This record gives sequence, C-alpha cells and structure tokens, in this order.
Amino acid sequence: MTVKAGVAIPGTPSETTDEELNYLNNKTGIKSWLLTLDHKRIGVMYLWSVLIAFLIGGVFALLIRTELLTPGKTIMEADTYNEMFTLHGTIMVFLFIIPAIPAALGNFFLPIQLGAKDVAFPRLNLLSYYLYVLGSLVAIGSIIVGHIDTGWTFYTPYSLEGNSSVLFMTGGAFILGFSSILTGVNFIATTHKMRAPGITWRRLPLFIWSLYATAVIQVLATPVLAITLLLLILEKTMTIGIFDSRLGGDPVLFEHFFWFYSHPAVYIMILPGMGVVNEVITTFSHRRIYGYMFVAMSSVALAILSFLVWGHHLFAAGMSAYATMVFSMLTFLVAIPSGIKIFNWLATLYQGSISLASPMLYTLGFIALFTIGGLTGVFLGTLALDIHLHDTYFVVAHFHYVMVGGTVFGFLSGLHYWWPKMTGKMYNETVARIAFGFVFIGFNVTFFSQFLLGSQGMPRRYYDYLDQYQPLHMTSSGGAYILGVGFVIMGAMFLHSLFKGKKASENPWGSAGYEWMTSTPPHPENFAETPVMTRGPYDYELCTEAELYEGFRSELPAALAE
Amino acid sequence: MNDTPVFNAPNGTLQLPPQMSTLAPHVDWLYYLVFWCSVASFVAIVGLMTIYIIKYRRRPGRKSLPTGHNTPLEIAWTVIPLILLMGLFHLGFKNYMSGLVAPKDALQIHVRAMQWNWEFEHPNGTTQMNEAMLPVGVPIQFIISSSDVLHSFYVPEARLKRDAVPGLYTTLWFEVPKERLQGKKDVDVWVFCAEYCGAPHGITNGSEANTNHSTMRAQLHFVPQSVYDDFLKKGPPPPPECEGKPNVASCWGEQIYEQAGCRACHHTDGVTEQPGPNWKGLFGHNVKFEDGTSQVADANYIRQSILQPQAKIVAGYTTINMPPYRLSDREIDAVVAYIKSLGEQ
Repeated sequence: MTVKAGVAIPGTPSETTDEELNYLNNKTGIKSWLLTLDHKRIGVMYLWSVLIAFLIGGVFALLIRTELLTPGKTIMEADTYNEMFTLHGTIMVFLFIIPAIPAALGNFFLPIQLGAKDVAFPRLNLLSYYLYVLGSLVAIGSIIVGHIDTGWTFYTPYSLEGNSSVLFMTGGAFILGFSSILTGVNFIATTHKMRAPGITWRRLPLFIWSLYATAVIQVLATPVLAITLLLLILEKTMTIGIFDSRLGGDPVLFEHFFWFYSHPAVYIMILPGMGVVNEVITTFSHRRIYGYMFVAMSSVALAILSFLVWGHHLFAAGMSAYATMVFSMLTFLVAIPSGIKIFNWLATLYQGSISLASPMLYTLGFIALFTIGGLTGVFLGTLALDIHLHDTYFVVAHFHYVMVGGTVFGFLSGLHYWWPKMTGKMYNETVARIAFGFVFIGFNVTFFSQFLLGSQGMPRRYYDYLDQYQPLHMTSSGGAYILGVGFVIMGAMFLHSLFKGKKASENPWGSAGYEWMTSTPPHPENFAETPVMTRGPYDYELCTEAELYEGFRSELPAALAE
Repeated sequence: MNDTPVFNAPNGTLQLPPQMSTLAPHVDWLYYLVFWCSVASFVAIVGLMTIYIIKYRRRPGRKSLPTGHNTPLEIAWTVIPLILLMGLFHLGFKNYMSGLVAPKDALQIHVRAMQWNWEFEHPNGTTQMNEAMLPVGVPIQFIISSSDVLHSFYVPEARLKRDAVPGLYTTLWFEVPKERLQGKKDVDVWVFCAEYCGAPHGITNGSEANTNHSTMRAQLHFVPQSVYDDFLKKGPPPPPECEGKPNVASCWGEQIYEQAGCRACHHTDGVTEQPGPNWKGLFGHNVKFEDGTSQVADANYIRQSILQPQAKIVAGYTTINMPPYRLSDREIDAVVAYIKSLGEQ
C-alpha cells in the first residue's frame, strides 16, 4: 500500500506527532527526493542546482576579472581566457538565470499562490528537472571533450571551426531548452485550470502574471533555439551550407535565428524578477499594488514586444537600413511597459508603511539598478549611439545591470522573502543586510566602471587591452571581489539559518499574499483543505488598525474558517 | 547633409574618446542628450523612491493608505515617455544614415579582415597590413569584407563600426577634419576588432599584436593629401624608427614581420615549432616541398611565397593555409632583406 502524501493513515504511528506535517517531513530518504512528484521538492532541487551553477559561473567571473587586472597575461593564456568567458556566459544564461526564478521559486510558489495541490503535470515537472540535469551535464561535458571558446552566442562561422566541444555545449543547451518548454507548458496549464475557488484573473498574484507571460515566451521562443542549434550541429557535422558563406550559406542568418530566441530569452530572465518585486514591494509597503491591471498587462506587453526586437543585436552586422530603422523604433517601445512598471512601483510606495527588511532592500536595489539598465538601453536603441557602443563594455555593463541588477537581485529578493516559508527557518537579518551592502556596492563598482570603458571604446571579449584602459579595468575587478565577498557572507548566512535558524512563523512579514496563508513549511498538499479565496492577494485595505502596522494575521479570512 | 546639433570636444571627455571624424560631434551631442535625460530620469525615480522610503517608513502609528486608481495618470506616464523616445529614435536614425551613406566623391579603401589582421587596399592596388596611410579632409569609404570568420571594423574615435561578414560587403565612411593635424606630420587613429574572432589554441604570446581577437588592431595614419598622393606613387616609406640604421631594409622588414602578422606562424629563433617554417637560416637553404620537388630559398622564392603562398608548400606544413599578402615591391624587398639578415647557409 502506498502512502498518499498528506493523508494520515489511521492506526499507523505518525512520526510527525511533535511537529506539524509538512512537505519536508512527510517522507524521508534520498529516494523520496529523487522520485518526488511534489512541486515543492522539485523546486528545492532546482534551487540547489541553480545555486551550484551560479557558484561555478561566479568563479569563472572572478577568474576573468583577475586576468583583466593588467594588460597582457596576468594569470592565464588567451585561449584559456576565451574559454573562461564562454563558460561564464553559457552557464550563467542557460544553467542559472533562465531557470533560476521560474523553475526554482516559481515551481515552489506558483501552485501555492494558486491554492492548487500541485502543478497540472507533476510527472512532466520531474522530467523537466532531469532534462535540466542532463542538459547541464552535457554542456559542462564540453570542458572535458575539448576547448569551448565560441562565446555563449555560438556565432558562425567561428563555431563551425574547431573541435567538437561546441557540439556538446549546443547539445546541452538544446536539452535545457526542452526542460524550459516543459516548465512553461506546466505553468500555463496550471494557471488556467487549477486556480482555487475565488482566485479570478483579476485576483491573480502578479508573480503568477509574470510567470505566465514568461511561460508563453518559453513555449513559443525556445523551439526556435532548438531549431537553430540543431541546424548548427547539422552544419558542423555534415557541412550543408546554411550558415557557411563558402557553401552559399549566410552567417548573418545564424545571428537572426539565434537572437530570435535569445532576445525573448532576455524577457524570460527579467519578467520573473519583476514578478518577485511586485510581491515584495506590496508586502513591505503594506499597500495594494498601484495600477494592478497596468502592471499585469505590461508583463504581457513585454512578452509580445520581446519577439519583435531581435534585430537590435544586428545594427552593425550589415542588415538593411530599413530593417534597422524598424527594429530601432520597436526597441524604443520596450521602454514603455518597463517604465509603467517602475512608475507603478513608485506609486505603490507612496503613502505606504515601508519596512526595509532584507527582501525589500533587494527589491529597492532592483528598481534602482534596473532603472540604470533600462536607461542605458535607450542609448543602445538609439541607432547612431549603438554603432559606437555595440560590442563594447558598455553593452556588457548594460546587460549585467539588467540581468544581475535586475534578475539576480529579484531572485535574491525572492529567496530572502520566501526562505522562511520554504525552510521553516529564519535567517540573521543583520548579516543579511551586511551581505546586501557588499553585493550592492560591489556590483555597482564592477559594472559602472564598465560603462565608461565601453563609451571610451574598449571592445568586449578582449584578453589584452591598451594601457589607457587599465585604471577602469582595475576598478571593475576590485568591485568583483567585493561582490564575491558579499555572496560568501550571504551563503554562510543561509547555511547557518538552515542548521541553526530560529523557527519561522506562518507569516513572518505580515503579507496578504495567498502563499502565506498555509503552514510553514507548507503542508505536502499546500493547503490542508482547498482554500476559498474571499479577497485579493494585496487587499491591505481590509486590514484592521493593528494589522496595518503588525501585518496581516496568518489565519485565513473568516469566510474560510467555517 | 547632417544638420543635427554638435557637441565639440576634440580631445574627448570623461565618457568619450577624442573626436576624429566630422560625424563624432553630432554623435556626441546625441550621446550627451540621452545621458542628461537619463540622469534626470534616474534622479527623479530614485529620488522619489528615497523620499517615500523616509517619509513613509514603518513606525508605530503609521498607516498605509488604500491604493487609489488614476487612469489619466497611467496614460500620462505611458504617452509622455513615448513621445520623448520617438524623438530620440528620429535623431538616432538620422545620424546613423549619415554614417552609412557615403558622399559620391569619397575615396574608396578596401578593408579585408582575416584572423587576426586587417589588410587595406588603396585605389591603385597598394596594400598595407594592420596600418594604412590615409588623407585628412577627404571623405573615406571603407569597403569591408572578411576572408574567414566574423570581425568588426571599429574606429572608436570616429564613433563607427561595421561587421566584416564572410560573403558580404559592408561599408562605412568618415572624414577626419584637417584641423585635427594641428601642425603635426600625421595623426594616428586606432582600429579595433569588435566582433569576437577567437585565438589559436595553445598560444603563449596573446598580448603580442595581431595574434588573437584582442590584439587584432590596426593604426590609421592620417596625413595631408599631398603626402598621401606621394605615398600612392612610391608605396609606403620606411618607418621613421629605421632611419639612420645601418641596414634600413632589414629593419623595415622586421617591422613588417611584426605588423603584418607573419609572427603568428613564423618564428625566427631556429627552434620553436610553429604552423609555418622557421625563418632563421632559411635564406640560401634548400627547401623540400610537399610534391617532392625542392628549390634553394632565394629572393624570387620568398617573393612568390608572399604573393602566392599556395604555389609551393614546404613539406610538413599543411595544417594552415597562408593567405596571399599583397605587399608593395619595396616592402617585399625589405622582408627579403630581413630574412637574409637572419643568416644564410
């Protein structure tokens, strides 16, 4: 007889007598994790995996910055350096940023925020995790096979030359793409079909709206990556003549194919981060989000626009002037929904009751850094300026402000915010704030100096550089070390919390969000009984006088208690 | 032709390099327009955020007010940025087009990119490697192609770049104003490769010129028109560093060896294994070829190996196909003199 998760079997002694039944203690043993269909456990496994990927990618980043301390050789040779930045890029993009928020935090919280017992297709969910593991191993296998030095963009014809490690890396990315598609399909189906009674589309948490928009992009765009990488693999192994100009192919076609996926992928990366910000900013201002439908629809608008702007990566690539004009104009439109989000976040803070707990610090950091990332995007969308700034450190700084200042800060905000719910433990808030200080300052020192390097004309992916660029390179490397120290402090803080953290209450932040209504850590089936939601996830105006300061009480609204 | 406003800073600013093209002041004006708009937006957003955080910080008795709704406000902050952004788009496109469409009378220079060198060909067929002598005060159109992988012809001081794409010609043009000479004989402008193009595996000289993507650079020497005309007639003069040396030709040959990228494949120490034959003791030596024939390495053999490298392949050196190097007669003489100076047998 199999034990159904969450159902106490009469007559059998329960091992959870002194502790409430939760998803961590309902089953034990390694098999209960590896074969689990529980979205929360899969989310936790994803979390560990992406954190390992982040650590590896981060070590590569520090090696790169160390090499760039001085012109010429500092610690490694040119071809090793090229391998380092390729691995940094591919690991951070495919193994970390794309799955970080949706697959780790999203997997855990999407069904809970919907009041559902699990995602729509739990087995598909587990398959997506194992595809992720397989894809990651194949991708990392490229290091063993040979020397991957194409950059994460795999531009032809350079990627067609050289050894077979490119096949492993692209093969890995191909498999990772399927993992991404399965997660997307699952989230769309779950959002449509499994919302608890009372959760209407207008009451949908904004984190879900952003994951939903992300999932749509994942399902529509990722197959194009699969096709592109497959064509690259065929071209490399069979020399068909798709991208090789000597055989009548066109290398620019690869750039079009690649960015037709990879530009939408930028929104796969940033939208979930914006979703986290929506949740955190309302909780820590105790105020309903301003312009709910505008914020929700701006996610959808970004998802749609993301498919129409890939050409802005090719302004210098010899594309026709008319195509260039259209892509530049469409690129400017992206600023509008991004701006709407920022303005609505500001309006949410206005007249709120603002607490500066660590999740909120990361969210406020997100807003400031994403604003810089977005505004420097305006430079790059302006055609005449892009022709100067394209493929320089200005671009490197710009996308790190969006991807790290945006997505990673969003991810960290979410991790700090939901950590107590996921683990049942609190962390040391003072240490968390110190780590934030290091991360925030280190990040800005590292990447702000790169804006100046780029506008001064320093091209990217350079092992060696002219002496005139050295002071800024040294500053940037110094910042990277500060950033590294911040992450070490944060890692130690979370590990300490895991083993020695104080027990977390059900709703430590006093949030009105649905996920805080269940027990901590959550019940194996998320809610002991299917909840009926009688209010929205941001209805702080329903608070009593005391609750406005103390935060929402953890118990369910009166309507549910009957 | 280009009537957008200008920002003049010939020697550059904290953010931007010196202005060495007639286009640069226009681009820089636009850069600073976007920059100051961005600073204003950032200060407004982060400033408001800071004020709210302080004013509405959580403290006993602080009540958050229910969120209202204001559709006109939402529409205002959608439409106003849209109008500003469309203005920027217009200015950006206008300056972009003026960097793309060359004047009809522009001097046409062919640029061929190859791993990891830039070859320049003047209208009369004279070629130069990783350096080019060019006139000031004349619009110059660069017709860019690539013979292997993607590269990008980037001139930061002209504010321009264009990719070199295999199988496709791309172009850009700019003009260095006469005033930039400021009484000097010439003024130098760097060309970088901005599209990643790799490095040979196992190299240990990655910081030497023209051995990988990061050192794939060239220098453009801008001179008065009269000096350029003279150059076209006689070919490039020996570099000033070699003037007064006992053997000007071999000194010049060594310079070409460094600049033209010969060094990437040919060593001169008689020891190191490289993709190309070692030059030490080559002159006068009997060379065996892949097809079994052999020849004494004399000036004619070296000349042919530079201009038609595939005509005779030295036995055992088939891994890399050397591209033809179109050097002028005087430069070939200099390279021959240099190889000769490395020792005869």
